[in-house]
Formats: sequence, structure tokens, C-alpha cells
Amino acid sequence: MKLIQMSDTLLIHNAKGVTSMTRREKIIDYLASHGTGMIEALTTSEVAEGLGILRSNVSKELNQLVREGLVNKQSGRPVRYWLNTPGIKLDPIEEKKIESTKIGFAADKSIETKKVFTPFSKRKGNTFESMVGHHDSLKNQVEQAKAALLYPPHGLNTLIIGPTGSGKTYFANTMYHFAVDSDILTKKQFITFNCADYAHNPQLLMSHLFGYVKGAFTGANEDKDGLIQQADGGMLFLDEVHRLPPEGQEMIFYFMDHGIYSRLGETAKVHHADIRLVCATTENPESSLLQTFVRRIPIIIQLPAFQQRTAHEKIQLLEQLLTLEANRIQKNICLNEDVVQALIGSVTYGNVGQLKSNVQLVCAQGFLNSMQDKNEIRLQFEQLPPNIKDGLSHLANNRHELGEITKLLDTKMIIKPDAQKKYTEVDSYELPYNLYEIIGDKAALLKDEGLDKSSINNFIMTDINLHLKSFYSRGKLDKAENKLNEIVDQDIIDLTKRIQKFLVEEEAYPARDNFIYAMSLHISSFVKRIQSGKPLRQISKDLTSMVHDYPDELEVAQKVKGIIEDSYQFPIPESEVYYMAILLASLKAEPKAGKVGIVVAAHGKSTASSMAQVVTQLLSVDNITSFDMPLEMSPKVALDGIAVQVKQINQGNGVLLLVDMGSLSTFSSKLTEKTRIEVRTIDMVTTAMILEAARKTALIDSDLLTVYRELREFAGYSRTTEKVTEKKEKDTISNDDGRQKVIIAVCSTGEGTAKKIKELLDKILIDNLINDLKVIPISVVQMKQEVQKIKKNQRIVAATGIVDPDVSVPFVPLEKLLQDGGESLISLIEGMELELDRNVDFEYSDVLTEEIAQKYLGQYFTFINPKKITGILWKYCDFLDRRVQKKLTNAFKISLIMHLAGAIERILTNSEMAVSADELELMKKDSLYSVVQQANEILQEALNIELGKNEIYYIMQLFNTEFQKN
Amino acid sequence: MPMDVRLLRIDSRLLHGQVTTNWAKVTKVNRILVVSDKVARDKIRRTLLIQASPPGIKVNVITVAKMIGIYHDIRFSSLKVMILVEEPEDAKRLIAGGVTVDTVNIGAISFDKTKVMVSDAIAVNDVDVAAFSWIHKKGIKLDVRKVSGDNSKDLWHALSEKELV
Repeated sequence: MKLIQMSDTLLIHNAKGVTSMTRREKIIDYLASHGTGMIEALTTSEVAEGLGILRSNVSKELNQLVREGLVNKQSGRPVRYWLNTPGIKLDPIEEKKIESTKIGFAADKSIETKKVFTPFSKRKGNTFESMVGHHDSLKNQVEQAKAALLYPPHGLNTLIIGPTGSGKTYFANTMYHFAVDSDILTKKQFITFNCADYAHNPQLLMSHLFGYVKGAFTGANEDKDGLIQQADGGMLFLDEVHRLPPEGQEMIFYFMDHGIYSRLGETAKVHHADIRLVCATTENPESSLLQTFVRRIPIIIQLPAFQQRTAHEKIQLLEQLLTLEANRIQKNICLNEDVVQALIGSVTYGNVGQLKSNVQLVCAQGFLNSMQDKNEIRLQFEQLPPNIKDGLSHLANNRHELGEITKLLDTKMIIKPDAQKKYTEVDSYELPYNLYEIIGDKAALLKDEGLDKSSINNFIMTDINLHLKSFYSRGKLDKAENKLNEIVDQDIIDLTKRIQKFLVEEEAYPARDNFIYAMSLHISSFVKRIQSGKPLRQISKDLTSMVHDYPDELEVAQKVKGIIEDSYQFPIPESEVYYMAILLASLKAEPKAGKVGIVVAAHGKSTASSMAQVVTQLLSVDNITSFDMPLEMSPKVALDGIAVQVKQINQGNGVLLLVDMGSLSTFSSKLTEKTRIEVRTIDMVTTAMILEAARKTALIDSDLLTVYRELREFAGYSRTTEKVTEKKEKDTISNDDGRQKVIIAVCSTGEGTAKKIKELLDKILIDNLINDLKVIPISVVQMKQEVQKIKKNQRIVAATGIVDPDVSVPFVPLEKLLQDGGESLISLIEGMELELDRNVDFEYSDVLTEEIAQKYLGQYFTFINPKKITGILWKYCDFLDRRVQKKLTNAFKISLIMHLAGAIERILTNSEMAVSADELELMKKDSLYSVVQQANEILQEALNIELGKNEIYYIMQLFNTEFQKN
Repeated sequence: MPMDVRLLRIDSRLLHGQVTTNWAKVTKVNRILVVSDKVARDKIRRTLLIQASPPGIKVNVITVAKMIGIYHDIRFSSLKVMILVEEPEDAKRLIAGGVTVDTVNIGAISFDKTKVMVSDAIAVNDVDVAAFSWIHKKGIKLDVRKVSGDNSKDLWHALSEKELV
């Protein structure tokens, strides 16, 4: 009886009960309150969105409810549901039955009667609704797209911008379907052209696009229409449009403006075509390549990166992609929470496209593993390929994100084939054939030939990898391996790979890519040593005491020793086991190349958070957090609050604190003390500065100190803080103090192989004409002590090797060094050299011409036209140069011009910076104030732009810091 | 053994079409060194020059001091180089620093108000003339040729004819 009462109270939808409801009850409640009759019946998606529950789960519950007779369903697509009788009382037996099925719905294996594939019903104008995020992350984009298509009379040309794999083609295709459904195309025609295809041959490309006339060139035997003519009345999609050669751009622009064009070999533009033009590119919209496009194309649609999508969308996307696979296989796909998390986390740079590739890979693998199961395939975490397993730790690195996603997940996710989810026909991530059929056929064939299961699996996995041109450019790894080849024999590399496989598969010991490099180098060195009969290394006391801390590694190392002995047929001395254990431990301990974190802290209710948000959105970075400080907040509370943010955003590489003013700038040492995380503070934060900081920290291996130094340079007006520490650093870091500059290379032992790495580095250095750097190889065992020793009378400028020695200098991992032939290391070193010269830079060029200023402006600003503005700003500088007591240096002039351009842009975009009233009062007493005001009249006159008091304040700050400097 | 300098050329435009296609091929160098203190510190020009390198040959932009440093460093002795400088003064500094050549090739030196034309492509001022005189006195030939196929003219003659030396 108790049961009945309970369900009774829950069915009455009172707000209080909602939180404690089960999913099933929530759905019933939702139906009761939203769709009581057939007329108001709801679709699964509507319920899913309304409750924030995954669609597949809602669908499951609804189906169950229909079976139980609690809910009615309307046939036709999409299926609509409504509650049978609101407030229905359940029969106790019935209720129990429901309970029992609810516990393990995974057990519900039977696939519902195979769904009949009915074509997707086309309700006018709802094409975009099947797009994940159409009401959230993509809301604006969808609105833009609709507007572009519906704009009278012929719509507007559109440029879709988005990173690799973010779904540009899919979006364009959906636009096309929308256009078809809205009857705005005269001909159902969607033509795709990838401008990169013929980029090396502009003429061929043009002839494809525009067509040609007989005799236009050799081989043009007859007139031929181009794609533009074919697309007449329909839609033309130009992918990778930035690869269009200049002459092609001109013709396309002309065509956009006038609707007419000429074929190759014709003189007059006489052909007319009515086309909806959609272009797409991965280029940064600010790149010079794209600027013409951005100017000429009225609608720019920016697609977000995968990371910018909401947690809910990420799961939905995954669900959708899995459904595609389920449709192909016609089996349920069943996966645990951790697999879902790993898959979502496995997306590193390739966005949805990468997710799709990964889903295909794991599904193919899962398909193979559960071939005998007719109804479902299971994806298990243990069986995932290592790069996807890594996804889980990627995701776990961001606790907030992990939490968000986990909140939305059940322990199990079941994806059923669903005819409704159709996929686009044009998609480069789509395989041209049904991989599963191939796998099935092949497995059957191999079985007939009497192979056992494990070898069949082996065969086919190789196949899958071959077929699935996995998203990751395999070439990259191969290239590094080839390089490795030069130092280590191939058989050792193969042996190491076997060991890696053994560790990962048998021992569940994490061995990543860097394992191959480090371990093969190590093995190579001692195998050579033993073969040449050289004396064995002694086990030092340090070594033994260190190894005691790593019993697991010692055990694994023992096994690795066994493998090596089997392979080479000679005994491996015990000392090597110790070395290997240490090597394993240090490889494991190596932190992921963490970015420098950024914390923005500013006075005001939302100043910091809104600035941080803008930058996060613009650059789609994940290393920024913010802390708002209402004026009444005490410094103590602020300090604690900031400390929490610092801890949260720290990825092991220190944190940059950007503050607006005052007491905040003294926080860094306190924060470091409190959090044991290195913190550097820069004051006078602006959005531009955060942008710059985000950009700089986004580079792999950029370290806190470098970013800090560069940022101070960037704005040029924040020199007041940490003057003392800065000076100290200069001594040790950037000033040439006559000490030998060295690069340290961390190897397993510091001998043998280390020498080879040194040779390699020396070669790279010589190849780049660097003659003032010495390479010192050190062993990972006594890394800390050796580094200290070197530091005494030499200056470490960079590090490379198998692990990061954690000195505050840039570190390039060994595998990267091998991959890019030292390029990254060299640009680091050259960057440092330039840094030293930076101040001399401008002064050296005898005359700072307007032209140079214009060049810089053009490089850094989006909205303003450098041609128009440079002259005016030049006058402004001249005026001030004459009116202030000191002669302005060229470097300062440039930074003043850049700052002014920024100020103008801020006014144009209505994003003025804030200054406190006190500061403004103080400013008016300064004699400089009236001078700057007068100078501002130049801008007022020429541009009709008035710089506000806040901007004057910053301009004066710029001058004051400059004067303090000298 | 010091570095193998196959060509030392003065050309205001440093690296451009004629040089890249013609001289690199004829001299069979494996490295082009643009030596100029100014350019080495100018990020933009530096990048532009490096991008203009002919396929298969690496270009470095370095300062005069660095050039002299690496010239004498045996680690770099395997390089076969073409050195490009902007002005005669830099060539003089290199030679004074020990870079050994028997000829200095002169392509074009651009004109400005302080200079007088010596030939259709070469303009000099006092500083340039002084540098050329210094080089000439070292017994080094001043060879005027835009590309290797041109007839070699002696700049010293031209300077004398114009009564500049």
C-alpha cells in the first residue's frame, strides 16, 4: 500500500518533489503538465529538451510507458506521446513490475520490431531542428543561416568559418535542405566544390568552376559548362574557399555582385546564374587571406569548436554519431559511462569530425568483439585504443567539465538503431562503404579457414586501422619514428613496441607515445654496451633508494627485463632493472604539457568575468578563469577567492594573474605561498591583454615567465608592479651575462644514447647557425642535482629529452624534437635572441615611417582601416611629441599608435575600459591632462571620434610609465 | 678549414629573383646567408627573406658579428655559402673580420639623395666609396654583374672614370 501512496504524491506535480523524482516519474510529470490530450501530444525530443534528459533515455522510458498502457502514442513521424489519464493510480503489482524492469534496463536486450525506414518527414522550416545545439550553441548560427537564405529576393551569400571538423559541410548541407523545404530554390541542386582540390592549378580550377569555350586552351574541343552553370537555381558550396587563387576570387566576387560571369576564353561576361553561394573555410577570419572574403560576404557564420559546445550538446552529438553506427550495424550499441567520457575527452583538435572518426573506430572494434551477439555490441573501456582511453584523463583534467558531463550521464547508455537519424550525403568523414559488412565477411571467411578467435581479431584490427584512415595523420608519428630510426635500430624499436603492447594489454600499465622514444633509446644504449663488452654501470646508492619508492615500477621493469632477455638471448644485469624502473616512474610522472593558467581578477560585479568570457569565446581556450570583486569585498576574501581560482586553473605550469589595479598587484607572492603554485601578476588588465595572454599561453610549452615578460612588453604600460623581481630575473634569465648558454637534454642514463641525442642536437644547432649554445646531456636519475650543478656557472636556456626537468625554461619533448627536426626548439631559441634585441628593434631603423606604423596596424587590428587612420595617429603623436618635455622614442611612438588604434576600436565596438572615479579626479590634476585633451581634438576633427575620460586616463598612464622608465 | 664562401654579393635588394635562380645555381651553394644587422633585427623583413629562399636551399638572416663568428668556427665548415649584404660597408666589415674572398660581386645599390649613379644600377655615397676603396686596396676584385651571364665590369674603373676615387 505504501507504494501506491508514494507514486500518488509524486504524480501530483509539485515543485518540491521534482528533485527526488526518478527519470520515469519526471517524464510522467512532464507529460501530465504539458500534454494531457492528443492535441498537445509531445515528441520525444520535446520531452528530452524540456527535462534535460538524454533523448535516448526519454525514448526508452516512453516506450516502456506505452507498453504499460500509461502513455498513448500517436503513429507517424515524429511519434508523439500523451498521458493516458492524468493522475492515474497504479496497480501495486504493475508498479512492482515496473520497478523490476527499471533496475537493469540494460537487460532489455530485445530490439523493438525493426523499424520501418520511413523518409524523414519534412515539416516546413524545421530542418535545423535535427541539428544538435540549434537552440543553444548554434542558435545564432541557425538564425543567421535562415536569414541568409530567406533574405529577399535571392538570399545572401554566406561564409561559414570554423575549425577542422566542426561541421561546416554538415551545416551547409542542412542549409540546403532548409532551402529545399522552404521552397526557395528553383532547382534542387546542391553542388560541392573543394577549392583545395585544384589549388595548384588555377586554370583547371577556373575551368571547373566557370566552364570554358571551345578553343580556350589545348584540349578544349567543345564548349563546356562549369559548376556555376550546373548549380544555377540551386546551391553551390565552395569548401576551403581560402585556397581559391586570386584570379578565381576576382571572378567569384564579380559574380557575387552582378550575377554574371564569363567562361574561360570568353571576353564578355554574359552568362547569368542564380545561385545561393555558401563558402566555408578553416582560416582565421582575421587572416589576410580571408579579409577580402569577410568584406565581400555579408553573412559570416562562425561555428564553435567542440570544446565550446555545452556538456549536453556534446553528449547529444555523441549519441547522434553512435546512432548512425547503430543504423549501419542494426544492433544496439551499449556503452558504459567511462566509455562515453573517454570518447568525449578524446576530441583534441578535430572537433565533431574527430569524434566521428573515433566513434567509427571503437564501433568497428566493438562490432568485431561482439560478432556473436545478434542484438547488441558492447563497448568496453578496457578494450578501447590507447588514444581514446587517454580521453578519459583529458576530460578528468577539467574537473568542472567532467562534472557537467557526468551529471547528465547514466551508468549505461544504450543506442538503438533509429531511422529518423539520417546523415548527410556529403561528408568527408563518412566512409564510402559499409565497414561492418567488410568486417563481418572477413571474419566469416577467416573462421571458415579454421583460424582461432584471437588471430581473427588480430587480422581484422589491422584491417580496421587500414580502412579507417583515422583522423590522426599517421604520417606524423611515422616521421618521428623514421627519425628515431636514425639513432636506434629498427629491431629495438619493434621490441619496444612489443613491450609497450605488453605493458598496456597485460599489465594495464600506462605507456604512451613517449614511452617508445625513451625506452627504445634506453634499451639501445645498454644493449650496445653489453654487446661491446663494456663494464656494466654500477648501482649507486641514490638509485637504490629512489627505486624503493616505486615498487610497482620495479615489478614491471622485472617483466620488461624478461622480454628483453627472451629477445636477445643474453642476461640483463640487475642494475638495468633499476634504471628501467626509474625511467618508467619518470615517464609516468611526466605531467601533460599543461598550459599556463590565466586568472582575471578585477573590481566590479562582473568586469573580470565578462572580459574572460569574451576571450574564452573568441579564442576557444580553456585556461582562463575569472574572479569578480565587488567593491565592498575585503582583500582577504579576495585573496582566498583568487587562490581557489589559481588552484583550479593551474595545469602544472604556473598561473598568470591579470588584475585591474591597486592591492591586487601585490598578491602574487602571497598566492604562491598559499597555493604553492608559481604566480605572476600583471596589472591594468584589458580585454586586449587577456586576448594576448590567451594567445601566448595557447602555444604548447610556453612557460609562465616568457609569457609574463612578453605581456609586459605587449601593453607597454604596466611596469609598476614587481619591478624588483623583474630586475632580478633579467639577471638570471634574459641578460647575456657572459655565462655559457646551455641546452640540457634529459636522457635515461646520461651516457650512450645521450651522446646520440647530443649529436642530433648539435647537428640541429649547426644547421641553424647557432654557435653560442652548448648541449649538456644529463641522466634522469639525478636530474635535480645535475641541473643545480649546471646552473652554478652556466645558464640553461632550454631543455629537451624524455622528461621535463622542470627548470623554468622552455621544454621541447624528445618526440617533438624528432618529429619536426628541431624546428620548435630553434624557433624558441631564436625567439629568445629576438627578445633581447626587441628594444633596439625600432630605434635601429633610423626613421620610423608612417608606413611601418601602418604595417603594424594592419597586422593587429580588425575593424579599423590602417590606410585611413595612420596619418591621423601620426599627427597625434607628433603633436604630443612637441608638447611633452621629453623626446619620445620610436618604440614608444609605435606603442602609442597601437594603443590609440585600440582605443578607437574600443569606441567603435562600445567596449570602453573602466576607471575608478578617484583615479579620474587625480588625473585631472596632472599637467599632461590638458595636453592629451588638446591632442584628442585632432581625432575629433578627423574622425569625429571623441575619446572619453577613461581613455585619456590610459593614454596618460602610457606616458607616465614611459617617463618613469627613463 | 674555414667556411667555403662561394660568393660575396652586395645588393640592396638582398635576395630576389635574379639571385635566387641564377647565382644559387651557378655557385652550387647549399646555404644563403643574408648578413645585415638591420635586417636581422627586423622581424618582418627577416621573415620575408626566409620565405623567398629557393627550394632546397636554406636562408639565414644573421648579424655581421655572427657571420664572422661562424666563419671561423670549424663546426660550420661543411657549408658552401653565398653571402648577401646590403651595402659595401657590411662587405668591408666582413672582410676585415677575416672572411676571405678574392672577388666581391656587386649587383645593385639603390639610389637616394646622398648618392651619385656610377652605373645604371649602382649608386654610391662617400661611405660606400670609402668602403670600396678599402676593399680594392686589399687586392680584392670588384665585379659588377647582375647575373652570372653578364659581362663582368670592374667597379674600380667606373669609380675612377667618374673621378670618385
